[in-house]
Amino acid sequence: MSDFKETLKAQIIEQLNLEDLQPSDIQDDAPLFGEDGLGLDSIDALEFIVLLDSNYNIKIADPNQGRDIFYSVNTLADYISKNKQ
Amino acid sequence: MKIFVTGYGVISALGNNVAENFAALKSEKSGIKQGEKSFTQRYKVGEIAFSNEELVDHFQLTQHASRTALLGMIAAKEAFQGHELNDTIRTGLISGTSVGGMDTTEVEYKKFILGEAENREMYRHHPSGTTSEQIAAELGVSDYINTISTACSSAANALMLGARMLQKGHLDRVIVGGTDALSSFTIAGFRSLMIFDEEWCRPFDESRKGLNLGEGAGYLVLETEETIQKTGKQPLAVLSGWCNASDAYHQTASSPDAIGACLSMKGALEIAGLEPSAIGYINAHGTATPNNDLSESHGIKTIFGEQHPPFSSTKAYTGHTLAASGGIEAVFAILALQNKAVYPNLNFSNKIEETGLTPVTQFQSKEGIQHVLSNSFGFGGNNSTIILSAI
Amino acid sequence: MRILAHSYIQPNGIWLNQTCVKSTVGEENWLKAIYQNSGVEYPKFYKMDDLSKMSFLSSELLRKFIPAEIDQENELALIFANHSTSQLTDTKFHDSYAVQGNPSPSLFVYTLPNILTGELCIRNKWYGENCFYISEQFDAALFIDQIQFAFNHGNSCCLCGWVEAKTDGSHECFLFLVLLSEEKLDINTLNNLYKTYKNE
Repeated sequence: MSDFKETLKAQIIEQLNLEDLQPSDIQDDAPLFGEDGLGLDSIDALEFIVLLDSNYNIKIADPNQGRDIFYSVNTLADYISKNKQ
Repeated sequence: MKIFVTGYGVISALGNNVAENFAALKSEKSGIKQGEKSFTQRYKVGEIAFSNEELVDHFQLTQHASRTALLGMIAAKEAFQGHELNDTIRTGLISGTSVGGMDTTEVEYKKFILGEAENREMYRHHPSGTTSEQIAAELGVSDYINTISTACSSAANALMLGARMLQKGHLDRVIVGGTDALSSFTIAGFRSLMIFDEEWCRPFDESRKGLNLGEGAGYLVLETEETIQKTGKQPLAVLSGWCNASDAYHQTASSPDAIGACLSMKGALEIAGLEPSAIGYINAHGTATPNNDLSESHGIKTIFGEQHPPFSSTKAYTGHTLAASGGIEAVFAILALQNKAVYPNLNFSNKIEETGLTPVTQFQSKEGIQHVLSNSFGFGGNNSTIILSAI
Repeated sequence: MRILAHSYIQPNGIWLNQTCVKSTVGEENWLKAIYQNSGVEYPKFYKMDDLSKMSFLSSELLRKFIPAEIDQENELALIFANHSTSQLTDTKFHDSYAVQGNPSPSLFVYTLPNILTGELCIRNKWYGENCFYISEQFDAALFIDQIQFAFNHGNSCCLCGWVEAKTDGSHECFLFLVLLSEEKLDINTLNNLYKTYKNE
């Protein structure tokens, strides 16, 4: 699982154009959104949807549905492992 | 100093000129349908049926250019019809566009890279500024040419700059408005933001899911009082108020309490010297995205209170024509004043629960309408309002 | 009008009032190096396009020079310009849908240069005048005209900038903060200030 999370972090960095960050800058359980986390917002939620679609073939039609899934690297990894096609 | 409107022109999915657009507004018939181009066929769009070649032939244009420029030439020519160029009347063109010649680049660049075309001339069509220069050339206007690209508030900002330049005496007459053609670039962009509604868009409705894009152009001719004495033109309306304000909230979303929208509506009312109660109709920005319509509803309530004037969005007719929308809707505002009528907000059935505003739902006459307020809000928190008044 | 402070960024570093604040010679990721050196905590920085990043970093230095009595929320105007608009991001966005097949929303939102002024407004809660001009080259006369216009219309301070992010990496960002005052700012003075940085 921890290898998977590292891969996921690298994918997040690439997908969200956060090229200035390293995977080690992102904590597994830290909130990704809002000023307390990485400062991500609604636009980034859309990038996560693209990421899930292109890397894991998971489709999310309603951006609002993503809020809980994209809370942290942990929640995201959990969702992917349960829904991966 | 009063700024008079002495000409108007429009092309949209509703029709090729002012009369056709008004007839469609009156008949409550939307111009939006399933797209017919390779990049629009997945969506409902306000597309203009003519191909570029057909546009040139049908409207007897002298230049082959990008679709954005061609649409602009058609509407600007209609607006400027019957006006004459004259050495003593300094005439300018200020035109808004968001994509400029992108539609040409998308086709021609691919051919060029594949070695299928030698034509490097197409590079010339790409910049937004070229679009304006070509429109100006079609009219013979050369005293001043400027381009404004502030996304969806571009045309409204062109009206504003034009009015200010007349007031300051930099020009005597100016053609102002905006034009945008549908392009892969914009379709891809709005798709990425997930704000398309795959069905017909429903501005200000609780069930709204997003926008339908459209294409078109709309222009006005503005003149000072002094110029009118020379040209003898009969004014159609007065451009009485304008304002642009920053929302300082998000790159693309409007703030929940509509700070920027309130600043721009308030500022335009101040310049026009009007109380909110004087406004007879609001042509809202009303894109039908969940965010815009909720925020704009709050803004309308803040400025106008519970006794708000009749309002509607005409984007369910034309689609969101981006940089052209402020120009097209300015023409619609003048038509509302001239015909003493307000337009329905098509596809509306249920109020937004949070704000409870009901837009106009039928084409109806509105006696005594003297002032129309029109909103155009752009990405970057670039919010603009203009007010058009009866003569 | 009086220039209170000025700054310059290019791939070799960042300068404030002609003193180097941080040299980035040899840094692979020079914008990140400047950000980390600044001590500013604003995670949104990482998501910005290069135009916004450079303007943000410079404005963080210059805003400290805004006199306390200025009503920043309403009396500060932003006047920006460049030559190549948002071309760098336009190219990246085009690549995301035409080559990679998935248009990127976070790139799309930066395909307008005025998003840069929007970013500064969001950061600082500035609700005043903001505009972004496209001109052939750094045009001191344009800036002075627009500053004068802003001062004639209720503004008392202008943050101005010439910001280029180019596809060939030749970025630059010249910002200057101007206060309403009796003094005249002439075209040559402003041009020379820009040239001094550019030639360094």
